[in-house]
Amino acid sequence: MVDMAQTLDNQHDDASNRVKTPAKRFMLTRTKGSDLTARGEPMVWAMGGSLAFGLLMIFGFLALIFSNGLSAFWPKPIEVVTLSSGRIIAGEPMREESYRPTAEQLANLGLPAREKIIANNGFENRTLYRIGNYDFYANDFEWVPDFDIKSKTASKDMMLVERQEWGVFIGNLLSLNDAGSTIAKPDKATLDKAHAKARDLREMRLAIEQGPISDVNHEINEWRLSVRRAEIKHGTGSPEMMAAEEKAAPETAKLTKTFDGLTTQVLSARAAEAAITVSVADIGGDTRDFPLANFVRYYAANDLTLGGKIQIYLSRWWEFLTAEPREANTEGGVWPAIFGTFVMTVVMALLVAPFGVMAALYLREYAKQGRIVSLVRICVNNLAGVPSIVYGVFGLGFFAYVLGGSIDKLFYPEYLPAPTFGTGGLLWAALTLALLTVPVVIVSTEEALASVPRSMREGSLACGASKWQTIRWIVLPRAMPGIMTGLILAMARGAGEVAPLMIVGVVKLAPELPIDAVFPFVHLERSFMHLGFHIFDVGFQSRNSEAGRSMVFVTALVLLALVLVLNTVSIVIRNRLKRRFAGDKF
Amino acid sequence: MTDVTMQDGPEPKKTRPSVTYVRDKKTKNSVVWMDALAGRVISVGGLFVIATVFAIMFFLIWVAMPLFGTGTASEPHSYKLAEAGGPVISTSLDEYASLGLELSSSGHLTAFHAPSGKRVDDLQFDFAGATPSAFARTLQGDDIAYGFADGSVRLGSLAIETRLVDPKTLPQNLVTLPGGDRTEGHAIYLNVAGDQVRRLAPTLSLEAPVQVALPGAAIRFLDYRVGGTSERPTKIFASVDAAGTARLSAAFAQVNMMTGETSTTLENTEVPTGLDVSSIAEILLNTQGDRLLIVTKDGLIHRYDTRNPKTSHLAETTRILPAGVVPTALAFLNGENSLIVAGSDSSLKIWSLIDRGAKSTSDGKLLTAIHDFGTQKAPITRLNVSQRTRLFIGADAAGTVSLFHATSERHVLTFPDKADAEEVSSLMLAPRDNAVLAIGRNGDVRLWSFDVPHPETTIKTLFGKVWYEGYPEPGYTWQSTSGTDSAEPKLSLVPLIFGTIKGALYSLLFAVPIALLAAIYTAEFLHPRIRAIVKPTMELMASLPSVVIGFVVALVLSPIVENWIAAIVLAFGVVPLTLIGFAFLWQLLPQPLALRLDGIPKLVAFFIGMAVAIWVAVKVGPVLEYAFFGGDFKAWTSGAGSAAPFIFLLILPVTFLATFQIGGRILGAVWRDRLRTKPYHVAGAYELVRWVSFTVAALLLAAGLAYVLGSSGFDARGGIVDTYIQRNTLIASFGMAFAVIPIIYSIAEDALGAVPEHLRSASLGCGATKWQTAAWVILPTAGSGIFSAIMIGLGRAVGETMIVVMATGNTPILDWSLFNGLRALSANINVELPEAVKDSSLYRTLFLCGLVLFVMTFILNTFAEVVRQRFRKRAAQL
Repeated sequence: MVDMAQTLDNQHDDASNRVKTPAKRFMLTRTKGSDLTARGEPMVWAMGGSLAFGLLMIFGFLALIFSNGLSAFWPKPIEVVTLSSGRIIAGEPMREESYRPTAEQLANLGLPAREKIIANNGFENRTLYRIGNYDFYANDFEWVPDFDIKSKTASKDMMLVERQEWGVFIGNLLSLNDAGSTIAKPDKATLDKAHAKARDLREMRLAIEQGPISDVNHEINEWRLSVRRAEIKHGTGSPEMMAAEEKAAPETAKLTKTFDGLTTQVLSARAAEAAITVSVADIGGDTRDFPLANFVRYYAANDLTLGGKIQIYLSRWWEFLTAEPREANTEGGVWPAIFGTFVMTVVMALLVAPFGVMAALYLREYAKQGRIVSLVRICVNNLAGVPSIVYGVFGLGFFAYVLGGSIDKLFYPEYLPAPTFGTGGLLWAALTLALLTVPVVIVSTEEALASVPRSMREGSLACGASKWQTIRWIVLPRAMPGIMTGLILAMARGAGEVAPLMIVGVVKLAPELPIDAVFPFVHLERSFMHLGFHIFDVGFQSRNSEAGRSMVFVTALVLLALVLVLNTVSIVIRNRLKRRFAGDKF
Repeated sequence: MTDVTMQDGPEPKKTRPSVTYVRDKKTKNSVVWMDALAGRVISVGGLFVIATVFAIMFFLIWVAMPLFGTGTASEPHSYKLAEAGGPVISTSLDEYASLGLELSSSGHLTAFHAPSGKRVDDLQFDFAGATPSAFARTLQGDDIAYGFADGSVRLGSLAIETRLVDPKTLPQNLVTLPGGDRTEGHAIYLNVAGDQVRRLAPTLSLEAPVQVALPGAAIRFLDYRVGGTSERPTKIFASVDAAGTARLSAAFAQVNMMTGETSTTLENTEVPTGLDVSSIAEILLNTQGDRLLIVTKDGLIHRYDTRNPKTSHLAETTRILPAGVVPTALAFLNGENSLIVAGSDSSLKIWSLIDRGAKSTSDGKLLTAIHDFGTQKAPITRLNVSQRTRLFIGADAAGTVSLFHATSERHVLTFPDKADAEEVSSLMLAPRDNAVLAIGRNGDVRLWSFDVPHPETTIKTLFGKVWYEGYPEPGYTWQSTSGTDSAEPKLSLVPLIFGTIKGALYSLLFAVPIALLAAIYTAEFLHPRIRAIVKPTMELMASLPSVVIGFVVALVLSPIVENWIAAIVLAFGVVPLTLIGFAFLWQLLPQPLALRLDGIPKLVAFFIGMAVAIWVAVKVGPVLEYAFFGGDFKAWTSGAGSAAPFIFLLILPVTFLATFQIGGRILGAVWRDRLRTKPYHVAGAYELVRWVSFTVAALLLAAGLAYVLGSSGFDARGGIVDTYIQRNTLIASFGMAFAVIPIIYSIAEDALGAVPEHLRSASLGCGATKWQTAAWVILPTAGSGIFSAIMIGLGRAVGETMIVVMATGNTPILDWSLFNGLRALSANINVELPEAVKDSSLYRTLFLCGLVLFVMTFILNTFAEVVRQRFRKRAAQL
């Protein structure tokens, strides 16, 4: 205390003329007491509250995605609801919400119900039922307000059927018709057996359609192109073209014959498939026959054991991760989208890593440090903040149209006017994203390079190592954690980016994967599917956003998990490498 | 790593005695090469990457630049055609500008090869000796009508039939025309790519005469339109006969089921005009047949409403030219909503029918001059309009032909011509807007080809106010595509730039306080170990893919927000109040306890406080909604109820500040002296009382002011709040907050962390509290760093695409309403670019959008970066 006062006094002596009065006041406030303004408690709470709000935002968001995504595939019970109008519906309760009935609805209500709602500030609960049977009702979801429910029951017979087309069916199974013989009320084992048979037939037919038939088509097209190539090279009507035509004609004829044979096979397989049918009835008693091969999965929803539920849950996840989408992407799997996202991200990383590191090495190790380099550095830093859509515009205009158009003219004239590289595709998307993420890699690599102590470089050079040797063996290994972090963050950003991809090559349904067994195996010119775009497409552009909702949640969960895993990996790598090189400091 | 040859011990008997220790100082060649190669590759590669990145901007400029260019016109192909049977009244050109047709008043048709002027064929309409007294053609020039002195009208067509023919079936007697085209004396054969031949042949057809006027009353004026589909055309024409009777006639073609013959029946209705036939300059009819315009020689336009032919009546009479000026040329623009008017005073204006609720006209619509091309060199005497766009050509009395564009109000170019050009009697703009055919009074023909890729875009149409057809006033509009071909494309970037700024500002308004307050708390109050968890968690938010955010916000949140909108609007007041209330309750704790709870427990208390605050908002929201907004906030936004409640909310922060400032001034010193003697928790109780009373005072003040303002007519509706739309700016701002908060938070926290530790220690050492240190020492020092954080956040908000696309309705409108949608530049590109045709005006305009976005963010980021670097340097010096 004494020391402090002394110091203060000394200070005052120095500037006693100017700050005499403030000094006095200062001494006054030193007296013990409670000055609450100094604690600024309201502001502290505002700050703490903001932090809490920010954290609630992120946790709430993650919780929403994870809870909805993880529960989407869990089999729900089927409730049979009798409405006040006497109509009966059967469906899975999807979710509940509190809403405001319109004045008109309120006016039509009975007095007690109305009073209850008014007492609740005009709010009423309602439940969304998935009633399915789109082919019966042209509507597969229905909101049912609480006041409209007369009674609710659960029937053990009610089946939920996931179908190849028309979405789910909810109703009763009446009989099984297998090639003429009819079994009324088939038990599960019989049904399973017939189903397995029908699905096998279907698989076989699909195998023919996707295997030999598509191969034959491909070959016919190749022959046609060979003629066109000769025509472009040697001119119309030239002997070379005639020769090519002569060579192609018998082959094409042979292939066409094979094609016809295969088509007959497919038709007979189709007929065999169609012979196995089931008769079903919806809750209202409307009876119809369905081919059993169209059933993907079926279960008696109210008669499931926990094991059965888990089995269905897992099988749905398996289908989601490995199968192709159906029903305009609102059902089935997202395998092509997962694969497309993966391939694009990998290609992007392969492009961005060497170039980004090279640019950073140039800026940090080779370029003369001066005004211009620091200006370039500022610009590169800023490019990380340029909107992704701008890169998309550039990618479409430059990569696809200018570069791709030239490639088409040079190498693929026989396909024109149908573009090969001259439109959006995997390569251009990857290049666009590489461009988008290269500033991130440059900045982080530069930072990593700058953090390698100068003394290590000097030591290496003093031992007689050349500049490249120093970089290769001393600088780069030390900078690796930073480089890896930057690269993985770039990949995470690239995997989650959608806006530019929508312009340069993502499609809602790609007929072929970018990598397959057809030469040259990797088809960088193909358009592809992407998880992020899948979310946008199913959520916003499908027939019924409600039908795709759970699908979107699961897709979002997968994308989010992918991005979070990449982010976590980058942090782990950074920490591990940091530890590894921690002792290397001089 | 240099190669060193070591001397080995057991080799004394070497033949070279002089060498003892050899040390080869030469570096291995491979090392030298590797070094040079690496240096070269890295330099070239590095420079290449950097150059590529910069090339983006130049590429965008390169693509967008042609928007502002004009175009080029060729020198004319000039030749003379022998005159045949009277003055030329109509001329046509096919889509490929190869076959020209010239129709004379007597019904003689000359078909000629347009590039060379070689006559191909002569045809003649057979009028059976009648003398035509009036002529009309449709916009395309395919359908024509002749009126005769005996009061009859004959409808017909002169079309150019186009089809591809097999080269093997060509006629034998082909004559090659200059340029490689061929003819056999009737049609023209063009070689097209892919070894095919295109045959262009003129065809004539003429229907039987129909008597329109009384026998002997010659048809003086005629206008003819064909609408409907090609299978079921609706043919209508308007005529004025020598007696001055105006008629509207609709011709129906009926096919006799038995005989298969086509017969034409006519439905005539008279339009009461009361005009003297000698005063009429021209009559114009639209394709729907619901509007007849009669322009008189004294510069007046009479518009007749013929929607119901039975009750046709004069809707409006407007002066379109000053008294004494004679109209010299009139034509409808494509779409027939606008009329080009040229006068003898060399004026050229475009008049459009605009709904302005005018009292003087029967339907409230009024012809209004929307474009003025100024005074031309000489009066325009002939006009022809494009069939696809808003281009038109005009020939003046001196024979000069010029190209104009209506929307951009631009004289695009003057076609080069010889000095003594003949006055033009007929003019045709080729269907593809790439050639012009002009036929002079004495048969002098000129054909120009021209290339004007983007006549509709100028700096003014992109960034200025433009008066579009049918709009009540000039404005900024974006409407790139429409259902019909005749729609006028409207490419103003202003609504898009506005939308971008609106979205960014509202989201920053929400995000900046949260991000900055959270950053200050993290940097200055949190224990480093907790900070090490909290900061990466917040930064995790930045890595959420924006499409996922967009989906959650638009599909999950927006229906909830719509249901709870009143609670959410009120939450902006209720949540801070509740939190601060908690702060005053916290002050009631005795000091030792408060200190003990300062770490994690207090952090937990924040969460509880926040949760309670939100719960209060949810519970209180509907109650307040009933009290303030008549129980239905959405109805209130659409105009129901009093304006005062929202004003109350708006001025609440102001009255709060005012009350606490004034109260603090008056009571402050006395109050503080009084409290100083009390223990902390007692002082806290007094403070709580003071706060509650001040708050009540502030609320009362706000209510009073709101009442006064509301009753004096001030209303936020129509301004920052308006009719509620489910996907709106509020939702989008909340979504963008997910993207922006972590960025601002992270950079601001870094900036605060970069303030040298000794400043903090000094301040705390002098006895300042943490809050005082943060507010008066750290914040001012880190100010520039925080500023740059906000700038970078703004840059991110400006460029955000998916959230905006999904969460707003993408409506390009100019209003500040929080409850209405917006369309940002980025969203616009995303929505429209996949559909845009390469190198079209829309395509280039979207590239311009990209460029604007690029420049906006680049400037923001550079500014932020410069500020940040300066801050770093200063912080390092402290």
